[in-house]
Amino acid sequence: MARWGMVIDLDRCTGCAACMAACHQENNIATAGPEEARDASRVFQWMRMLKEVSGEGADVRVRFMPQPCFNCDNPPCVRVCPVHATYLSPDGIVGQVYGRCIGCRYCMVACPYGAKVFNWLDPEWPGDLKRRANPDVSLRPRGVVEKCTFCHHRIIRAREAARLSGRELEDGDVTTACAESCPAKAIVFGDLAEAGSRVSRLARGPRAFRLHDDLGTEPKVIYLAEKK
Amino acid sequence: MNERVQLEVPATSLDDSHDEDELLRAVEEHGVGFKVTFTLLGMVILFCWAIFGRQLLRGLGVTGLNQPVSWGFYIVNFVFFIGISHAGTLISAILRLTQAEWRRPITRMAEIITVVVLAIGGLHPVLDLGRPDRMLNIFTSGRLQSPLLWDVCSISAYFMASTVYLFLPMIPDIALLRDRGARPHWFYAFLSWGWQGTPRQHAVLERAIAILMILVIPIAISVHTVISYIFAMTLQPGWHSTIFGPYFVVGAIFSGIAALMVVMIVLRRVFHLERFLKPIHFDHLAKLLLVMSLLWFYFTFCEYITAFFGNEPSEMRVFFYKFSGGFAPYFWGMVACNFLIPVVLLAFRRFRTIPGILFASIAVVIGMWLERLNIVIPSLANPRLPYPTGFYVPSLVEWAIFIGAFASFILGYAIFSRFFPLISVWEIKEGKKHSLAATSERVRGYLPDPLPQKVIGGESS
Amino acid sequence: MSQDTVSERMEQRVIFGLQVLSVSMIWVFCLGICAWVIHLLLLSHQLHDVPSASVGISIVAIPVFITGASVLTYVFIGLQRGGVAPNAGGEKREDS
Repeated sequence: MARWGMVIDLDRCTGCAACMAACHQENNIATAGPEEARDASRVFQWMRMLKEVSGEGADVRVRFMPQPCFNCDNPPCVRVCPVHATYLSPDGIVGQVYGRCIGCRYCMVACPYGAKVFNWLDPEWPGDLKRRANPDVSLRPRGVVEKCTFCHHRIIRAREAARLSGRELEDGDVTTACAESCPAKAIVFGDLAEAGSRVSRLARGPRAFRLHDDLGTEPKVIYLAEKK
Repeated sequence: MNERVQLEVPATSLDDSHDEDELLRAVEEHGVGFKVTFTLLGMVILFCWAIFGRQLLRGLGVTGLNQPVSWGFYIVNFVFFIGISHAGTLISAILRLTQAEWRRPITRMAEIITVVVLAIGGLHPVLDLGRPDRMLNIFTSGRLQSPLLWDVCSISAYFMASTVYLFLPMIPDIALLRDRGARPHWFYAFLSWGWQGTPRQHAVLERAIAILMILVIPIAISVHTVISYIFAMTLQPGWHSTIFGPYFVVGAIFSGIAALMVVMIVLRRVFHLERFLKPIHFDHLAKLLLVMSLLWFYFTFCEYITAFFGNEPSEMRVFFYKFSGGFAPYFWGMVACNFLIPVVLLAFRRFRTIPGILFASIAVVIGMWLERLNIVIPSLANPRLPYPTGFYVPSLVEWAIFIGAFASFILGYAIFSRFFPLISVWEIKEGKKHSLAATSERVRGYLPDPLPQKVIGGESS
Repeated sequence: MSQDTVSERMEQRVIFGLQVLSVSMIWVFCLGICAWVIHLLLLSHQLHDVPSASVGISIVAIPVFITGASVLTYVFIGLQRGGVAPNAGGEKREDS
């Protein structure tokens, strides 16, 4: 059984946010609009960019850390959902059942990484973006929680294509929108359970670390620390 | 033995019927007061519901909720109202259990608070849902491992138990109203369940009340413990603390007693119950409130000093946000209302008058609401990861529900007082008839036994 | 009421019927909740949830509801049994 995971090399990341734009396009993410985002603090992003500014004056350094949902192997959000609208699938993706979610937002509150987003109002897509939506990803209604799904729809398509060709999924067959769009190739996606895959080799490297894994959440997004 | 103290047996029938008339006046005489109250409060509640319609039409976006502060007033009020429900259990059940005689005029008012407030509080999580139309999913696909489900179970159990616990001791009074010809007759005949005051019926009722008063205490404790688990079972800084269970229970009893005293003082004035609710009742409750205030302060102190001493970065971020950051006015306001004001007003007899007690109780109610605010918002506003601190400004819809909830509470009470007596008539009568003798018997049991006859005979001869 | 007219006796019977109905509704409610808890228990077993929480809650919640409904039924039956028959001399009524 596959165990999908991601490695993000912080040394390569330039903070260009192409991953965020690609994610928005791929997953039909609605736009919050300037008032909602700024005044109401309701930014609508599945891939968030954590920005850390350190130092002052000429020594100021800004570091960027793209954060999708970490799809933890011990997810605190799944444990608290009262209606089984979020669940851990056998291949390691924390799924969200939009049709069952009652919008209690307990999973949002329980996630220590703040990875989940809520549809506070009816989702809106400016212009004719809605008509050009990705048909593989369902449009979410108002009042439900959503989050990064490791582009699960791409995994399903790739698996179907592989089965049609009579073979199993191989490393490199499927990648997420963010990994595909990153110009610096900082994001690598793949099967952590397959020892030879690129992502598991990188995840075992010396620079690898996970955010707050002292909490026991077992996140499956591994960061590679910047080289000094 | 030495001289026996003459027990004053109060005059029975004349006094009793006067008591009855006084206590049942609000039910039997349909004054204009109730109609005015009902209409005014009804309009306020309808107006608030109309404003809530905005949320039903447009979604939770009309509130001040955002990311990271995705829980706000609705959850704060939910915890607050369920906390107040502990008024009924403590006074009724524990005082009945300890056979404290001063509980007699108080128990019914306390039990009413519990039932009304549970209904209001239990509705709040539904108001908070993004998709209330899917609420039945909790029944079809609920997960018992979620603290919210534990909450649903324990609040339903408590609601059932406290409704039964309110109803059973009311049966003799309902029968009294039925026999006095209160209208509508079928209503009282239906609810009185054939009560006729025979000794066998009394025995049945006493036994049932005894079972319930023991059953209701652990249920009540479990309710607020389980509510605390909604927060404590997450990994958020400031929430993931083992003290939350007892802390919430203590806070609930604390706010419950304060709310009860506000209700008692107000109703005493409105319904002219000065003969029944005497300063001694308030004095006892005030001392209880003082003890709870000190206990609350002890728990709060334990909680914060543990966080402070551990000096863990995420915890300290929340800690300083409350102590000296953006939330400081609400935090110190809470300490003032919950500790400083009540202790000063209630510890000294000079201030422990009825106006002083009223002021202290209102301060505690406000302070405990601020405490719920202090629990929910700061931990959400200061996430573990170094995102900027969140903020929360409640919107019109949330204020409307807040006001509507209070109006509903008052309305619920008003409706109750229109149909049922607020003070238990039969328990007062029972108190007058039997309590003095029963209590002196009990006290005699505590005092040293008389010397055995053989010794006295031997010495005197 | 020493002499019950026909309509009063009818009224008493209707009221008695409503009372029995209300007690049965309480049992319907209580057993409904027990059935729901058991349904959730089976669901959690199906989903391989941690059994401690679900079993623990079932063990506590179901007896509580059944006790509550039983107490109410006990009181109802006890009151009906312990009352004075309408036209009998019987036990003297005691208001205390």
